Amino acid sequence: MLALTRSRRPWLGSVPVFAVLALVAAGCAGEDGNSIAELEEGEDTERQAMEADPEHEGEDVELEFWTFVDAHTDFMMARAEEFNEQNSEYNIILDASTADFEEMHDRLLIALQSGSGAPDIVDIEIQRFATFLRGDVPLHPLTDLVDKHRDQLVEERTAPYQLDGVEYGIDYHLGTWVMYYNNEILEEAGVDVDSIVTWDDYIEAGEQVVENTDAAMTSIETTDRFSVLGLMLQNGGGTYNENNELILDSPENVEALQLISDMVHEHEIAEVAEGGMHHETSYYEALNDGAYASVWMPQWYVTRFKDFMPETEGNMLIRPLPEFESGEFISTMGGGTGTAITTQIDEDKLDAAKQFLEFAKLEYDSQVALWTELGFDPFRTDVYDDPALTEPDPWFGGEPVMTNLRDMFDRLAPEYTGPRYPEAIVQLRETVAYEVVEEGASPEEALRKATEEVEAMD
Amino acid sequence: MSIATTTRAARSGARKPKPPFFHRPPVVAAVFLLPFLALFVVFRVYAVGYAVVLSFQDIEGIGVSEWAGLDNYRRLLTDSTFLTALQNTALYTVGTLLILIPLPFVLAAVLRSKLVARQAMFRSAFFLPVLTSLVVVGVVFSLLLATNGLLNSFLGLFGVPEQGWLETRHLAVPAMIIMATWRWTGINIIYFTTGLSNIPNELYESASVDGAGPVRKFWHLSVPLSKPIILFVTVLTLFGGFQLFVEPLILWGTGGGPGQGGLSIVVHLYRTAFTSFQLGYASAIGVVLALIIMALSIVVLKLFGFFKKD
Repeated sequence: MLALTRSRRPWLGSVPVFAVLALVAAGCAGEDGNSIAELEEGEDTERQAMEADPEHEGEDVELEFWTFVDAHTDFMMARAEEFNEQNSEYNIILDASTADFEEMHDRLLIALQSGSGAPDIVDIEIQRFATFLRGDVPLHPLTDLVDKHRDQLVEERTAPYQLDGVEYGIDYHLGTWVMYYNNEILEEAGVDVDSIVTWDDYIEAGEQVVENTDAAMTSIETTDRFSVLGLMLQNGGGTYNENNELILDSPENVEALQLISDMVHEHEIAEVAEGGMHHETSYYEALNDGAYASVWMPQWYVTRFKDFMPETEGNMLIRPLPEFESGEFISTMGGGTGTAITTQIDEDKLDAAKQFLEFAKLEYDSQVALWTELGFDPFRTDVYDDPALTEPDPWFGGEPVMTNLRDMFDRLAPEYTGPRYPEAIVQLRETVAYEVVEEGASPEEALRKATEEVEAMD
Repeated sequence: MSIATTTRAARSGARKPKPPFFHRPPVVAAVFLLPFLALFVVFRVYAVGYAVVLSFQDIEGIGVSEWAGLDNYRRLLTDSTFLTALQNTALYTVGTLLILIPLPFVLAAVLRSKLVARQAMFRSAFFLPVLTSLVVVGVVFSLLLATNGLLNSFLGLFGVPEQGWLETRHLAVPAMIIMATWRWTGINIIYFTTGLSNIPNELYESASVDGAGPVRKFWHLSVPLSKPIILFVTVLTLFGGFQLFVEPLILWGTGGGPGQGGLSIVVHLYRTAFTSFQLGYASAIGVVLALIIMALSIVVLKLFGFFKKD
């Protein structure tokens, strides 16, 4: 691994990165030349380290962990404490740093390229994961950990973090794609939510909503990927297939995108989300005020309702996505972050790190904690019978949300990623959705152009 | 022979004794300059030089590199994303040049005139945005430029319909120019104020005697006599414009903006380097950007008659 950077010329590996950094830095300097410093203001890395427990009989193993989500730090800290209580061999001392998304991934890339400075364990977001799987993979294979639990896992969730069948990351959630309905609006429009089974039903219901209420049926993102990617995946498309082939312009994707285009332009039941995406404050406000009767987003979006949209309490209902064809997929998976172990970890810490990662991410209790602590849907199926997950959720119509979710698992479209996944996502996020939704471009043409852009990278 | 030797000895005896090594002016200069020079050579000259070398290589993935000749430069010519970025960046630069030179100059002149009381207070107020944290700026401008935001409400007073500043492709560059105007007007006012204060007062007084009003004094005295400082600010604004990076990142998070209407060359460079990890191609973009900036700067200097011998 890292032959050039490690053995022959240890310092040279970092040179290309410094050179590019110099160019970026030259580019970043504003009129007063201090933009970089300013950019980092307020985005300082937050550091949180555990203290060694002198009474623990096991070997102290300090592990450095990088993430870009505060909640992940808390989750991993809590798991480390539980691990130490239950394990006599190792006493894990987790030293966690949280940095801004881009900053953390860039630093990681630099550290891995230069051969030193990388953490032992790191969270890599799904959009950036493929970047780390090019060339000599600087991550340790985790296949043996996953194998131990494979029969309990929703296998589709392991696909995004694989290269040639080897697992390099373990996720925090399944990210089941669902439709969030505002039942108050649907009732006002005279629509029974459970009568919506197919996308045709959905459009019909949408027309009723638009006719009888002030709301639109749904919102579409034009500066993020979720609206388009969700339906593409559900329809059996996406960015890559299982053979690692780019399928951005596949007929399934064209059909899904056409459906979205029709909702906006032909049926006029869908509108562009405020701020162009489902994570903008102005959009939360609109959804909170009842501007939309529904929206399709992954399961983890429940936390946004609870955190930012108080008016929706009790009114929201979670259902599968309407189907394209009878018996076909009714959901897929969205987003994701794979936790990985870098090859820069000391050999003598590797076993402890792997044991800890398996404990924190794959064991039964940890998977329950994914739901109870982070509000994420676990990807281990047996935990869905746990009392913590079968409880009804008053926010979402008093229904056993997680139990209902499990019923979708056998009709869940997988998501495969490939070497140009980050670039394909950029195309979906920045051009495809915008051109089709805002400018009325033909889905086929938009996807063909996007495919050409991605292919031109090589 | 002996006479000559004596003369030379006498002459050298007349000279002051040699100062200690560390007191000699060239040595002192070298000692003071060395830390800067060392850092400059290592982190700028060497890095930039190496980037040029890299631009002829194909580097992708960790520890993988090979020579690619001119492939990276050839690819640039057909890279439609680069051309989009170039177009956006050029538009942004032109926009900032058209606003950030005349506006601060007039404001600086007004602030110096007797029309305004509490000049220092106004200057500080204009300068405040320069000191504001970018994170705050990002949040404030997201709200300001939102469809139901303050700018649209303000424009609504004049009957202008609501604009999706942050959601429309062709409004992305104007949105960034609005933000740049807010951020950089203050610093340019400071530059121009400095320039204006160097113009001798007698010139204004004699102009007054000749019957010139404030406008004529501004146009025939302040403007021509501020040419060096206008040149300086123009070149800085040109640099700043082509190095556009932070604005799109804080307005749209991912840097591309709606339909890539906000994508700048440096954001494209950054993404090529860190998302695609194509360090060679990213370097080629950087080299071409440097050449563009250099060429334009020379054009500007020429237009201002910088190379002419007065």
